[in-house]
Amino acid sequence: MSSIALRVGVGIVCAVIPTFMAGGWVRGAGKRLAKIEAGEVVSDEAEAEAGDVAIATAADEGYCNGDLRKILRRVLQSCGLLGSGEVRGCQPLQAKNVATMTGEDFNALFLPLSQRAGIIQFDKDSSELDQQDTALLDKIFADQRGASYFFVVARSSPEGEAEHNRELSQKRADAVMTRLRTAFNDPDLDREVGMLWLGEEYAQLDTNFCAWSRSGATDKCKPKDINRSAFVAWIDCRL
Amino acid sequence: MAGSVPGRLHLVIVVIACIVGLAFASVSTFDFAQHLDRQVHDLHCSFIPGQRTNAIDGEAVGCQVTLMSPYSSVFRTRVWGGIPISLPAMGVFAFLAFRALDTLGRRGLARRRSAAWLFIFSFVPLLASIVMGAIALVELEAACKVCIGIYGASLVVVLAAGLAHASCRHTVDDEDSSASSVPTNGVWAMVGAAQLGAFVGIPMLAYVGMMPDYSRYVGTCGRLPDTADPGGVMVALDINAAGTPAVEVFDPLCPACRAFDKRLAASGLDARLHRRAVLFPLDDTCNWMVEGAVHPGACTISEAILCADAASQKVGGGPTANMVIEWAFEAQDNIRAATKADPTAAKRLVGERFPELASCVGTAEVQQRLNKSLRWAVAHSIPVLTPQLYVGGVKLCPEDTDLGLEYSLTGLLEKRGSP
Repeated sequence: MSSIALRVGVGIVCAVIPTFMAGGWVRGAGKRLAKIEAGEVVSDEAEAEAGDVAIATAADEGYCNGDLRKILRRVLQSCGLLGSGEVRGCQPLQAKNVATMTGEDFNALFLPLSQRAGIIQFDKDSSELDQQDTALLDKIFADQRGASYFFVVARSSPEGEAEHNRELSQKRADAVMTRLRTAFNDPDLDREVGMLWLGEEYAQLDTNFCAWSRSGATDKCKPKDINRSAFVAWIDCRL
Repeated sequence: MAGSVPGRLHLVIVVIACIVGLAFASVSTFDFAQHLDRQVHDLHCSFIPGQRTNAIDGEAVGCQVTLMSPYSSVFRTRVWGGIPISLPAMGVFAFLAFRALDTLGRRGLARRRSAAWLFIFSFVPLLASIVMGAIALVELEAACKVCIGIYGASLVVVLAAGLAHASCRHTVDDEDSSASSVPTNGVWAMVGAAQLGAFVGIPMLAYVGMMPDYSRYVGTCGRLPDTADPGGVMVALDINAAGTPAVEVFDPLCPACRAFDKRLAASGLDARLHRRAVLFPLDDTCNWMVEGAVHPGACTISEAILCADAASQKVGGGPTANMVIEWAFEAQDNIRAATKADPTAAKRLVGERFPELASCVGTAEVQQRLNKSLRWAVAHSIPVLTPQLYVGGVKLCPEDTDLGLEYSLTGLLEKRGSP
């Protein structure tokens, strides 16, 4: 009888060992889970995971200073990209209004974009894009990365009537937009592309911009050449 | 003095081997059970039971692979993580240790029959070891030291039990025994089977009974504001249009994505989904949201996937997006290493494997489509993390993408009333 009792005892002990061990581990994990749920971090791993997980956001580069952000916001609002406006593009006078600064200062805001921008150069009195123009435009537009806004700032050289040049720079901006619509099936295009046509009256480019990516020939970079253009660039700013 | 008590030495060896097997099985079960807090933990992966190894060590990889494989546990759709296969192993070793001790305490014919049935039952862990070892080698192509410890202990148990049985069979007839009081073989078999069932079943019941309620976590990790794809950024991963719509955010060179893909396929639950991929390469060549190239070459490979997708939609033939993904998963270690050394390597490797795609990769069109894919992530404010799976717009919690995958995904599908 004692032999049977001993056997039963040994059997119970042997059976209880795995039961208690496994049960204890599960209960321990449950307690840790409850602590994590309650906000008490209990392990390095949990602490690491409890840290802020980055959320996907548009880029916001260091050059997005207060002035650029202000200009950006005002231009986008006046051009109808922000809010419920239906307007597309801005008149030169409006551009002056939104950019209450000198043309030089206005251009200086875009200097940090030298690696992101391009200057699409047109022939005299023309708003047609040739092969070099479209190649450069496509290349720059495709390189959006995290940028939220694509700026097209069209200009004209000071030759001719100011009114004519305003219309010409508008046509140049429109030509860029048309090309983007044709080449890129981007449903966000109307929310991304901000256009300005400055004509000849405001923020003319100086020859320092000749070193930037241009579609014009190397020897075609006199002030009148480089201002028969559309300056295009993605702006890595969040508003 | 083995000669005076037949088979005693062998039975003692059986007991010791069972203790060793129990120790290894316990370590494995402990490693599994500690993950029930839904966190990531280091594993014990050593021939010395209990010695901890770092998860990133090469030798721990085999243990990691086997632990996370669908073969490491059973009832995975009913229980979070399933019941680890090492838990019944603990019960079996405890049972065999008990039977060996019991045999030691018997005499005559009772010892002979007890030793014979011990020998028969000792094949249970050996057969299980053969099956699990074959799966590890053939299916998982991984060797886990803790598992090898269990296999070894199983083998020693069988050998020692066989020798004990042989010793008892040859000598016990000379001993005085009362054959009439000894149970028949049928009784031995039934009692043994019942004991084995109890030794295995009771710990399993305790394990399940003490588990937290994981159903409360299902579907609580956020959702997409919408699953529309107006920009055409998504890549269809299957043609199962009747499945529950699912969006998978992944990086083709991300090891976790590859492992997740394998687990999902092994679970069979992918057949209930209609998966579309949003490519999210963790490579600063195209992705401004990461610092540095976490997975060098991922942007180029993502472009190749989009190229294949566009080409197969337009003209048919040529490599499909899935073919490129499959290749990228297989070769991802090589692609990452090669691109780290030479930034143009990924494009070259794509060209070598899929010459049809060479002219497409790097073009403005495909770069823009990839960018739109990244901007989709921005528009939907998703975490910078891969992989992510959204079932019907509801996110599968990151903590449930490994051991809890089958349970949580089944829960998500059932919540949606998916067949």
